[in-house]
Amino acid sequence: MAEFSVDPNVSLYADRTSGMTASEVRALFAVASRPEVISLAGGMPYVQALPQQDILDVMTKVITERGSLALQYGGGLGQITLREELASLMAEEGIAGADPEQICVTVGGSQALDILGKIFINAGDQIAVEAPTYVGAISAFSAYEPEYISIRMDDDGMVVDDLEEALLAGARPKVVYTIPNFQNPAGVTLSHTRRERLVALCHDASIPIVEDNPYGMLRFEGEPLPTLKSMDPHNVIYVGSLSKVFAAGIRIGWAYADSGVLQRFLPAKEAADLCTSNLTQLIAEEYMGGERWRPNLLTLVDTYRRRRDVCIKALEEYFPEGSTWTHPEGGFYVWVTIPEHLDSKALLAAAVDRLVAYVPGTAFYTDGRGANQLRLAFCYPPEDDVAEGVRRLAELLKDEEKLYRSLTS
Amino acid sequence: MTKIAVLAGGRSPEREVSLLSGHRVHNALAERDWEPVTIVPAETPLLQYLPAQGFGAAYIALHGKDGEDGTIQRLLDLIDLPYTGTGPLACETSFDKVLAKEILAAAGVPTPVWATIQASALRDLSAGHILNLVVERVGLPAVVKPARGGSAMGITFVDDPGDLPAAVMAALAFSESCIVERRIEGTEVTAGFLGTPAESLPLVEIVPRSGIYDYASRYTAGATEYFAPARLEPETAAAATAVALQAFQALQLRDVGRIDVMVDARGNPWVLEASASPGMTEMSLLPMAAEAAGVPIAPLCDRIIRLALERHPGGS
Repeated sequence: MAEFSVDPNVSLYADRTSGMTASEVRALFAVASRPEVISLAGGMPYVQALPQQDILDVMTKVITERGSLALQYGGGLGQITLREELASLMAEEGIAGADPEQICVTVGGSQALDILGKIFINAGDQIAVEAPTYVGAISAFSAYEPEYISIRMDDDGMVVDDLEEALLAGARPKVVYTIPNFQNPAGVTLSHTRRERLVALCHDASIPIVEDNPYGMLRFEGEPLPTLKSMDPHNVIYVGSLSKVFAAGIRIGWAYADSGVLQRFLPAKEAADLCTSNLTQLIAEEYMGGERWRPNLLTLVDTYRRRRDVCIKALEEYFPEGSTWTHPEGGFYVWVTIPEHLDSKALLAAAVDRLVAYVPGTAFYTDGRGANQLRLAFCYPPEDDVAEGVRRLAELLKDEEKLYRSLTS
Repeated sequence: MTKIAVLAGGRSPEREVSLLSGHRVHNALAERDWEPVTIVPAETPLLQYLPAQGFGAAYIALHGKDGEDGTIQRLLDLIDLPYTGTGPLACETSFDKVLAKEILAAAGVPTPVWATIQASALRDLSAGHILNLVVERVGLPAVVKPARGGSAMGITFVDDPGDLPAAVMAALAFSESCIVERRIEGTEVTAGFLGTPAESLPLVEIVPRSGIYDYASRYTAGATEYFAPARLEPETAAAATAVALQAFQALQLRDVGRIDVMVDARGNPWVLEASASPGMTEMSLLPMAAEAAGVPIAPLCDRIIRLALERHPGGS
């Protein structure tokens, strides 16, 4: 008798890999990547809007003028010249006078989340997250085996009362993770009052806030709200990203934190990859250094706004009774709640069959909730496709509703 | 060297699995004096491309809809290109669990009691109340499976009648009809067959660590333990192999295939389902069975392609 060992190392892997498995949903996305499927699934920035000549100019300049620097190792914190640009960018979002020495450039915002997980979370430690929250943050944090405290969301963002209640009931989260602007996946924005309450609550309880703000500059309407970092500079760790302002493919993000945090953050970053690519750092610095990013950002915001409008209009026009959705004032996502008896994960195969894809809601929770919710990303497909995708999904939901009625009659 | 078209990918939900199967088959054929070319059907105009390129045969490494249900087989018949495995009609009936179960039952092959639910009956024939009748017929616990699908996608185990509507809807998301089947507890094994007449390969016993052989258990390396031959008493194994062979023949599978069997606590075998185009990945069962019989992947694929060519000597 032989035991077939598909992977001889299986008993050797760390416990933290237990959630890292093959997934049916990923398999369905592989089918959904074919061109005739309208994908409202991935939150891909519309990089086609970038003026190609600008990018060529920037890249040529980097290689011709600073080629040997671009192709060399760099310091763990990143290029100081880029960090200065990032400090000015944060000033645009109301974080005045950021010290470039307290900024560490990372490979996208995602790496900053992973490193924060690494330096804060022991197995079994509590951390508080919004429910739903960014699936990439769940992946990053889960590797460090925390116990999640999931805080409910409504149209004004995280329900801070619930966090307070959890604290009163004895919860001791190491950090509170939030995406205050146009949250991924919920699309909602933390209100001004709640920002003040959240900052005060965490300040008093000495719990640092991780403020993840990749979408802040993609506001379609309304007044920008102050960043949490500007409201409590010492208790907030700010995570930024150029993925939406410039390009996702250059993989530039950053963490801006007090020197105590950075003292741990930097060696952890260096252990992961020594340094972020100098080449992409210099390209980012050149691009963000001039004024060329401003008109392009306006174009992007305008494009996303129109796609959001089309998405919401299509939801209103086509979606059956019994579903609700959020009204994002910016960003990439609309969060849809369908009738309780429908399961968005189970329906994904049927949706792909009808040539539309979305992300099932359960992906964004740490506790299995979200079966009757789903995320629509309106950022990438052209307007007509956004409307058509929503229409296809609406038809599916209507048919499923009939099926359910018939099954339970 | 004969050129072999390795057909893999496709547009079924098992696209990823199929690409892995195709990759492995490609490498295996290349090891043995064949000239494999991997072709993804949805991305290549097959009917123009295949005849023009002088292929000697096609290895079908497609799984699920279009690859395992007779569709690709009929296209290849049209251009007279020899291909591996089962012909179109038997593919169609073995792939569709509703049809396969009826054929197995008619042939006297033991298969767990089941009921069929068709979406059109619910939509057009006002077949409400169907679930009560299904539960009465099948009993609980039950397994709800899409009629047409693989890799355990869309499958739900149901203990509580209240969970049945959701399970049925999940299965119908993959297929126009589904079956609700009595769940048999016991030892899960699979029987691989090779050649014509079919020779049985050693049974492979499947022990998922999570207790359920679902998609994650199938395709996460190490999530499932496999034993080949299965750890069954010789007479129990012989009985399981015998019913599997009976199923293989009743379904008219050809050259290669797999029959999944559940052996209950008393040692009685129950045929669950058939695969006319079994997975060929590192984590797939048929290659494990062959390996247990002393046939590694390269001679296995070589044998399968030779069977196709022998069967169809006049092929292009």
